[in-house]
Amino acid sequence: MFSGFLSESQSRIDKLQIAALCGLMLLGMAFVYSATMVTEAANSAPWYNQIWVRQIFWYLVGLGAATVVCLINYHTLARWALVLYWGNVLLLALVLVFGSVRFGARRWFDLGFFSLQPSEFAKLAFILAQAHFLSRPEEEVRSPIIFWQSIGLMILPFLFIMKEPDLGSALVLIPTGLAIMFAAGTPKRYLLWLGGGVGILAALFLVDILFAPPGWWTIKLEDYQRQRLLVYFGASFAPRNASPADKIKAAEQERTKSYQVRQALISVGTGGLLGKGWHQGNQTALGFLPPGAAHNDFIFSVIAEEKGFVGSIVVLTLYGVILFTGLRIAGHARDRLGKLMAVGVVALLFSHVFINIGMNIRIVPVTGIPLPLLSYGGSSVLGSLIAMGMLQNVYIYRKAY
Amino acid sequence: MLIFDQLKKNDPQLRILAVLLLCGLFVLVAGLWWVQIVSSRDYQAHLDMQSFRTVRIPAVRGKILDRNGVALAENHPTYNVNLYLDELRKPFEDACSKEISRARAILKQQAEEKQRQLKRKLNKEERKQFTLSLRDRGALKQKARFDVASNVVAEISRRLGQPFSLDPINFQKHYEQSLALPLPIATNLTSRQIAVFSEQCTEQVGVDLSVQSTRFYPFGTTAGHLLGHLQKDDSSAEGEDAYFSYRLTDYRGVLGIEAGYDKELRGKAGVKSVVVNNLGYRQTENIWEAAQPGQNIVLTIDREVQRKAETALQVYGPVTRGACVVMDVQTGDILVMASSPTVNPNDSIQGYSDAEIERLRDPKLRPEINRATQDNYAPGSIFKTITGLACLEAGLDPNAMIYNPGYYQFSNKRSKPVKDLAAPGQYDFKKALMKSSNTYFIENGLKVGIEAIIRLGQRLHLGERIGLPTRQEAPGIFPNERTLRAGWYDGDTANICIGQGKMAVTPLQMAVMISAIANGGKVLWPRLVDRIETIDPTSTAPPVIFEKGRVRDNLGVRQRSLQIVREAMLADVEEGGTGSKAFIEGLDIGGKTGTAQVMDAHNRTIADTVWFASFAPYERPRWAVIVMIETDVNAGSGGSTCAPIAKKIYQALLDRERGTTNHVERVAQAH
Repeated sequence: MFSGFLSESQSRIDKLQIAALCGLMLLGMAFVYSATMVTEAANSAPWYNQIWVRQIFWYLVGLGAATVVCLINYHTLARWALVLYWGNVLLLALVLVFGSVRFGARRWFDLGFFSLQPSEFAKLAFILAQAHFLSRPEEEVRSPIIFWQSIGLMILPFLFIMKEPDLGSALVLIPTGLAIMFAAGTPKRYLLWLGGGVGILAALFLVDILFAPPGWWTIKLEDYQRQRLLVYFGASFAPRNASPADKIKAAEQERTKSYQVRQALISVGTGGLLGKGWHQGNQTALGFLPPGAAHNDFIFSVIAEEKGFVGSIVVLTLYGVILFTGLRIAGHARDRLGKLMAVGVVALLFSHVFINIGMNIRIVPVTGIPLPLLSYGGSSVLGSLIAMGMLQNVYIYRKAY
Repeated sequence: MLIFDQLKKNDPQLRILAVLLLCGLFVLVAGLWWVQIVSSRDYQAHLDMQSFRTVRIPAVRGKILDRNGVALAENHPTYNVNLYLDELRKPFEDACSKEISRARAILKQQAEEKQRQLKRKLNKEERKQFTLSLRDRGALKQKARFDVASNVVAEISRRLGQPFSLDPINFQKHYEQSLALPLPIATNLTSRQIAVFSEQCTEQVGVDLSVQSTRFYPFGTTAGHLLGHLQKDDSSAEGEDAYFSYRLTDYRGVLGIEAGYDKELRGKAGVKSVVVNNLGYRQTENIWEAAQPGQNIVLTIDREVQRKAETALQVYGPVTRGACVVMDVQTGDILVMASSPTVNPNDSIQGYSDAEIERLRDPKLRPEINRATQDNYAPGSIFKTITGLACLEAGLDPNAMIYNPGYYQFSNKRSKPVKDLAAPGQYDFKKALMKSSNTYFIENGLKVGIEAIIRLGQRLHLGERIGLPTRQEAPGIFPNERTLRAGWYDGDTANICIGQGKMAVTPLQMAVMISAIANGGKVLWPRLVDRIETIDPTSTAPPVIFEKGRVRDNLGVRQRSLQIVREAMLADVEEGGTGSKAFIEGLDIGGKTGTAQVMDAHNRTIADTVWFASFAPYERPRWAVIVMIETDVNAGSGGSTCAPIAKKIYQALLDRERGTTNHVERVAQAH
């Protein structure tokens, strides 16, 4: 009976994907509420200032923006790809100068009612530009010049975002770009070389961070970035030649730094199979999960704590539906441009989901990146919904109407 | 699956991407399964450790009652004012941020000053001097918190009209170590302060009254030794959880009944769990396990008589050193057990004054000793009752006369003669006991031999502990076969015959001895505790009742011999003997006085121990009354010092008897 409903030829939009999307937004609403309405101050705030209401507002704005994106044929969008790309690169440059500083990073434009995070939109512009650039015939894509040019297209926003610094957001550009290149038909050996090169560089980088003897040249990282990596690999903060007092101090520092990860893990772990029930999780209520992060980057641990393994699987299933319907859209796209756009969006969403959930269960180091559609945040919600609009756009215009 | 079917038609790249996606999702599922299902219990343990604190709540201690149900040790509520830091969290935060922003403003001003001086912008290194370090911030916060708390304390002090102070070091210590618990700022409020507080201070944030159950001995020094005292001790008793985050003040009995029945009195401590937030502030709390109150101990002591006996005992005022014991000769019940100088068990709770500590340390007074059971004394002439019994059993004719020249001369002429305070003349048994003739008892005692006396002493279990629950017991000293073998002379036997030399007893042992003479030869176990009662009214467990009149041994002498001794003791009081000062109209008392010399290492007399051992009524004996006083040499005697005390005690017993019967009649009429 589902075949009729699911059959894409019956409808202009991918209903299955829309259903999963709505499911995620409902979850987001419920758990942003659960994560924030824990203090008296939050409960007594006027309704329009309550974070979950704001989240709904951003959902609505995002859905509006996605609809607009759907209405414009993606070929029209692609014509503006380079303009959008350079515009976003300009914004990334401006944010380094005029942006406001929070948690030691310059990532936001403070617009009063809303902090705009340009990197969220730069990712989309990059997908559009990369897809547009590589949508040329496959023979051309095989040439090394195009390969290096597309690498350049990827590196430019990467460097700007790194500079903010926002390692997480910068890193997701790489799998996204690589996926688009792969789907576009870039020869495998290039990609293998590239992958190998990146891998070796990353390995050298880690070895340098973790094991470099004192006095050696080390890659300059922000302290917090270095510490996050050390926390992830369970290495000592203290240099090898540190005095015992320093080592104790470093251990103490390490304990505080690994606090968030530990608390997130405790939240997820204590959820068990079925969880403690909605709004019953005490990790947020007691403030062990930092109030600033619970509804943001750590929203998944709130869901996992309150709904358990079953809840986590539901979330993963919803993402899975979106990702695979996305790939299906890529398969049905009318042309290479549509296919590459769809692949880019899927790769971007997947990177976010994997890194974010992975950091909640400590299989990837902590990097401050949001969980698409669930985490609170105007830029993230807007960006994610626009990305979904792009997918649907490719679907809608799969046939030349 | 639909999606894959459709992908198959398409290019291989998409298929590879789909496989990668699937792998990624699978990794996440596997990770989540590991964390949420496999290691869930470990994380739960982590969570409990960081967000729960357990508090040990001591149980309410059982009461100690006298035989009529009068509480000798009970608990009364004391009221404390507590500071609840979790309620002050908001003011703390406000004060902290104010303090920090003020410090920042000052630093900023200083930085600008410096810039003007240098006429240039400060570089990064220089700017560092003008920023707050983490340590500075910590110190500022600490100060801000203390200011808030001490303001609250000052406000409470003003309202209650008593200056309470808050020590910054203590406050910080409490903040760091026991944040989840309230901080007491004022203890033991007066009733007026309680009223003022409940009227005026309830709207004050962060403070509240708390009630604490405090041990209280309503009659102060009465039976102080017997009750014993407590010591602060919050460790876990057997069968309790060993680990608690916090423990509330609790006490443990270390002496007397409080120690002997500590387990029963103490009850079972409860557990309270406090949920704390990430900073350690209290969030909610609930009782996991309620404390089970301790049981009541009902003593055989009669509070009224005990009090009168204690007053009577202090013939030399509070520095009197002595003891008295009243025992029911049929049941073994100890009605009175008094020792002087007295101690006040309330001091163990409320604290000892310097003067009191000084007094307790006095090597001569030794107030902490329970003289009724805890020290050895030579019984002196009161032991002649037993020497007499041994002689009578060996066939002594009580009417046979012996001449007393005023001393006793051993057959071995080199030995020093023993002085006899009884006037020279002819003595039969009755007169010898009445006048306490040393010559008579030494001469007859040497005839029957030490073994006969030792046999009786062993049946009385002299030289052995009774096993009192009070942990205040000396065994006394008494010769046995082994001591005899080690070298024994007639002089030693002579000394034993008159209750001196190589023997020592406690007043309680003498009470047992006199009871045995009075009740026809039964050597009883003294009985201090009548029963253990459960406080819980819903409990169906029957109270533990200790058996009355348990016989430990039997003297194994003829009733006729006992009768002769009793007659002689009656004569001692009623026919102008040494104990005549105990005489009471309407109560026939049989008594025996005693004066024992306390010798130092050079055989010089340094003090006397004077005794009066008695029983009454003569016809149907009920009570044995033993009085013992330590005096200076020749400062007193059993007859002049102790017999009047015994008289007062008998008077008290008679009053009590009448009072109780009157009371019973009144109750009967009322019904």
